[in-house]
Amino acid sequence: MASQVHSLDDHVSRINRQDKVATGVLTVIVGLVMLLVVAIIAYILVRGGTRALTPGFLTNPSAAEEAPGIVYQLWDSFYMLIVTLVISVPISLGAAIFLVEYAPDNWVTSAAKTAIETLSSLPSIVVGMFGSLFFVVTLGWGISIIAGACALTMFNIPILVRTIQQALEDVPRSQRDAALAMGLTRWETTINVLLPAAMPAIVTGIVLSAGRVFGEAAALIFTSGSAPARLNFANPFNFVSPTCPFNIFRPACSLAVYIWRLTSEPTDGSVEIVWGTATVLLVCVLLFNLLARLLGKFLSRRLTAE
Amino acid sequence: MTDTTPAQAPAAADECLLATKDVTVTYDLTHEALHKTSLSFESGQVTALIGPSGCGKSTFLRCLNLMNREIPKCSVGGQILYHGHDINTPKENLFELRKSIGMVFQQPTPFRKSIRENILFAPKKHGRVRSRSEEDELVETSLRQAALWDEVKDKLKQSAHALSGGQQQRLCIARTLAMKPDVVLYDEPCSALDPISTFAIEETIRSIAESGICEIIVTHNMEQATRVSDRTAFFYVGDMVETGATQQIFSDPHDQRLVDYLTGRFG
Ligand SMILES: Nc1ncnc2c1ncn2[C@@H]1O[C@H](COP(=O)(O)OP(=O)(O)OP(=O)(O)O)[C@@H](O)[C@H]1O
Ligand SMILES: [Mg+2]
Repeated sequence: MASQVHSLDDHVSRINRQDKVATGVLTVIVGLVMLLVVAIIAYILVRGGTRALTPGFLTNPSAAEEAPGIVYQLWDSFYMLIVTLVISVPISLGAAIFLVEYAPDNWVTSAAKTAIETLSSLPSIVVGMFGSLFFVVTLGWGISIIAGACALTMFNIPILVRTIQQALEDVPRSQRDAALAMGLTRWETTINVLLPAAMPAIVTGIVLSAGRVFGEAAALIFTSGSAPARLNFANPFNFVSPTCPFNIFRPACSLAVYIWRLTSEPTDGSVEIVWGTATVLLVCVLLFNLLARLLGKFLSRRLTAE
Repeated sequence: MTDTTPAQAPAAADECLLATKDVTVTYDLTHEALHKTSLSFESGQVTALIGPSGCGKSTFLRCLNLMNREIPKCSVGGQILYHGHDINTPKENLFELRKSIGMVFQQPTPFRKSIRENILFAPKKHGRVRSRSEEDELVETSLRQAALWDEVKDKLKQSAHALSGGQQQRLCIARTLAMKPDVVLYDEPCSALDPISTFAIEETIRSIAESGICEIIVTHNMEQATRVSDRTAFFYVGDMVETGATQQIFSDPHDQRLVDYLTGRFG
């Protein structure tokens, strides 16, 4: 009896020791990861912060004699992002709803799921190559915003489908059954019950994916180009003009592509511009993440307590 | 018969509001969870379905509004007669059917909408309410029927998720009643609730029956069955073993399995 008590004590203290060691190791690992993230962000902000805050950097074109800026690249990045989302959100929403609610459980469906997963693991440079062959050459769109946006869409759809699918599946089954039991069709149930319930998660997913798309470079180099754009904001509605900011058939250069270009073909003073641009890009992506969280919280509060 | 409720011999099946004839349910193509079950239900009557866990009560209940159709690889055999005609046919319009056979689930399932919108949601979808005054009236009568009006009349615009579990469940009942059904199915409606909410819901169920609606309730609570139901059916491993007036089932059970169940020897 005494020895049993003894061995139990031993056992407990051994478990406690193991617990402490494991917690300690994990804390150190998490601490290191956080340190790394903070260090990268801080380094970029310190290197590029002053440049990014220089007057004119956000409002001047890159060709400006003094104080060259990135206004066209900034515009192109956002514009291309919006075009991408306009194409990819409806497609992904449709695909996710189909897969969750309608797809029969057969080999066609599982093939579709595998295809989407494969698409998500394709290297973005390969997506870019395909885009340049198909959208630019075969469809004859040329190096253009729309070709870039389509390449980004291919890159974005798998992420979006996955998050929307997850969001829809997370809605309790009972909600669905309750709606069906009131004589609603599946479509009515999906649109009026499932989508509103899943909306916070869907919106968060879309904004997060926007952050990833915003920083993408490789898929764009061959599709929307890297030539510095010349835009004419004074006359924005002449849609066929190559300087029209809204023209989707003109080439464009996003922030990330601009960084790549300046790094591979350095000119006088370009190093500073690269760091400044990197800072702006980083801040935008961080803002997207913040926005995703805030929107998600706000929406779920709106929807649960009107 | 010392029963207080008229416990006539069940009318011939095709004269009842709702009746099943030899209904069989098979899951996953091979697992027969319910064997030939025949029961009949009349307007204004509450029927309790009792039996040990896994004996097929929910399965049977889900046949009655064809909810089993939503489960892949689930097939239902036999006849389900509603107003005298068989609804267990592929041609039956289940969306129409479910407007008049309502269902309340074990967990309260309010939608992420306001209390008012929860009630009006389905009637609006089915184009049953046209004016604001019709809407107001429907909300009030349904909530009154479910004994919830006094508690929520000042916060109809608030989210239904802010209500207590018992209130949410009564909201679900109100929402079902707003469809003006003639049959309401309950699957263990009180199992997630405290005694006071349970009592409120039992009162509600009784008063709804008095308004002439046919109700069928699955319950694990024997006292609840005696309090709310007029008739009781006992299920055992996929068979409907014994049925009769509630009073008689509990005071004078015949089948040995039912006796054992009531004395708590299993289940
Ligand atoms: N969706 C389903 N798919 C496959 N089998 C099922 C499904 N639902 C129920 N079953 C099986 O059917 C049988 C009866 O289940 P059912 O849910 O009707 O029991 P129950 O009487 O409602 O039990 P409980 O009192 O625990 O709710 C069980 O053996 C169960 O495993
Ligand atoms: Mg059950």
